[in-house]
Amino acid sequence: MSRSKRRLPFFEIFMLLLGLLYVSPCFLALINSFKTLPEIVRSPLSPPTRLVWENYQYIFTGVKLAGPMLNSLLMCFAVIASLITIASMASYALVRHLRHGALWRVFFLAGLTVPFQILMLPLMREFNYLGIGYTYFALWLHYVSYGLPLCLFIYSGFMRSIPIDLEEAARIDGCTPLGTFWRVIFPLLAPCTVTIIVFWGLFIWNDFPQAYVLMGTNKGELAFVQLWRFLSDKYVKNWNYIFAGIVVLSLPITMLYLAMQRRFVKGLTAGAIK
Amino acid sequence: MKKATLQHNLSSVLLCGPAILLYTAFFVFPTLLGFAYSLTDWSGWTRDPTFIGLDNFRELIGDERFFATLKFTLSQTAMIIVCYTSLALILAVLLDRMRVMKGLVRGLFFYPFILSILVSALLFQYLANFRSGAINIVLQTLGLDHWAQDWMGDPALVPYFILTLVVWQGLGFYTTIFLAGLQTIPRELYEAAGIDGAGSVATFYHIQIPALVPQIKICSVIALITGINLFPQILVTTQGGPGYRTFTAGYHIYWLGTENDRQGYASAIALVVFLVLVLVAAVQATLFQRHETDL
Repeated sequence: MSRSKRRLPFFEIFMLLLGLLYVSPCFLALINSFKTLPEIVRSPLSPPTRLVWENYQYIFTGVKLAGPMLNSLLMCFAVIASLITIASMASYALVRHLRHGALWRVFFLAGLTVPFQILMLPLMREFNYLGIGYTYFALWLHYVSYGLPLCLFIYSGFMRSIPIDLEEAARIDGCTPLGTFWRVIFPLLAPCTVTIIVFWGLFIWNDFPQAYVLMGTNKGELAFVQLWRFLSDKYVKNWNYIFAGIVVLSLPITMLYLAMQRRFVKGLTAGAIK
Repeated sequence: MKKATLQHNLSSVLLCGPAILLYTAFFVFPTLLGFAYSLTDWSGWTRDPTFIGLDNFRELIGDERFFATLKFTLSQTAMIIVCYTSLALILAVLLDRMRVMKGLVRGLFFYPFILSILVSALLFQYLANFRSGAINIVLQTLGLDHWAQDWMGDPALVPYFILTLVVWQGLGFYTTIFLAGLQTIPRELYEAAGIDGAGSVATFYHIQIPALVPQIKICSVIALITGINLFPQILVTTQGGPGYRTFTAGYHIYWLGTENDRQGYASAIALVVFLVLVLVAAVQATLFQRHETDL
């Protein structure tokens, strides 16, 4: 009680206004995506005099963003499904089965410190050597291997808190190690799985530097790569189209964020809060 | 017994194999390859690399641009660490005091973090544009023409432009870490402080900050890694300009490797920067340890 003896009633409102001011650049993008370019330059802050839907039309006809968006979505599904399967199984083995498990864990965790720029060009050379350069398959391979360290970190941290009695009971009932894993352990890992879906889904949808570098300049149509390619082509920036593109690509994740903010916050900070 | 061991080993391989295989082949191997290329003159694309020993590192010692880049990266990193930690700490304490709408306001501050770096970089590039950017147009409308600046083109201002962009996007993330830390402070502590007549400032200094030391540690380490690896924001907004003013280590490596066909030299720089990161992280850890014994 003593902590809130004399609280000013408008503190919360002040914080709300501060928060709205903080995200105001996003609102600016939204209202300006409905204006013509001259109108954006003339009056950037005022609401649009009439809604210019042509910007959005151009995003799908001129920039052709629909296909790349679908590609990105498919890539998200493919990578997340692989990451969940591979990482959860591996961390089970690391924590419970493998001899020298601790050593293997260090081996994987070391990956968390390596930035993409170090392996970028050797990786491209490797992919070219294997004959899969500039393909979606290569990008998938990269995303999965790049994501493994963090996923293993999240899974194995949680795995250690699961009592071993459960597995012993399953073993006594005649379950094989693989069967024990899928029937007993994997369902218990659901919170981690959700975290990984949020984190990597967002990462892959939003990614542009890695996909851009690995897919080259004219292949590989993924959502943000396509937008970047469009705007880096032009010497003059057509902000009306860029804003429409930004809104179109951010809308799906914004909707999901509004629907399950807590999951997002938890998923994105899980590596740091423990 | 023997059969059980065999089955045990077999299932270990089945469970662990795919992860080890993928990670080794497409993460560890190219990383090591990158380090190996630092001893070659590889152009990055077609020609096979030739072994040139430590020539790249010798060149690096005399390379003024490399040191300018490193200096810019480190100063930028220092500012990023200080801003993230202090602003997030203050914001978290403020948010923690809220009784209603806490989730909503927290959600607003966190929102930029879920956006693509391309989006945040473009938004700020638009705001800061000299001729058609929102900031300068608003200043002109208000009759403050002389306040209008070339935010991205002025060598003195551009570091702060990059800083603002980076901090804007990530602040919510760091705030969440501090908010989680604040939840662990027992209520009795606040009550005791209240009885002793401590105001909110005294509570902040004597209860909240000491309790949040672990979070300050985590935040500064994550901010350090973010700062040293600063790259996509530069690629989208300034592309290293004006001149070479905003060349960060990450952008320099990318620029040398892809646009100057000097992957061997770029790998040498990447290796050195990586060692610098490890070194700074070690210094940071030591400082924190000393600080902890002081407390």
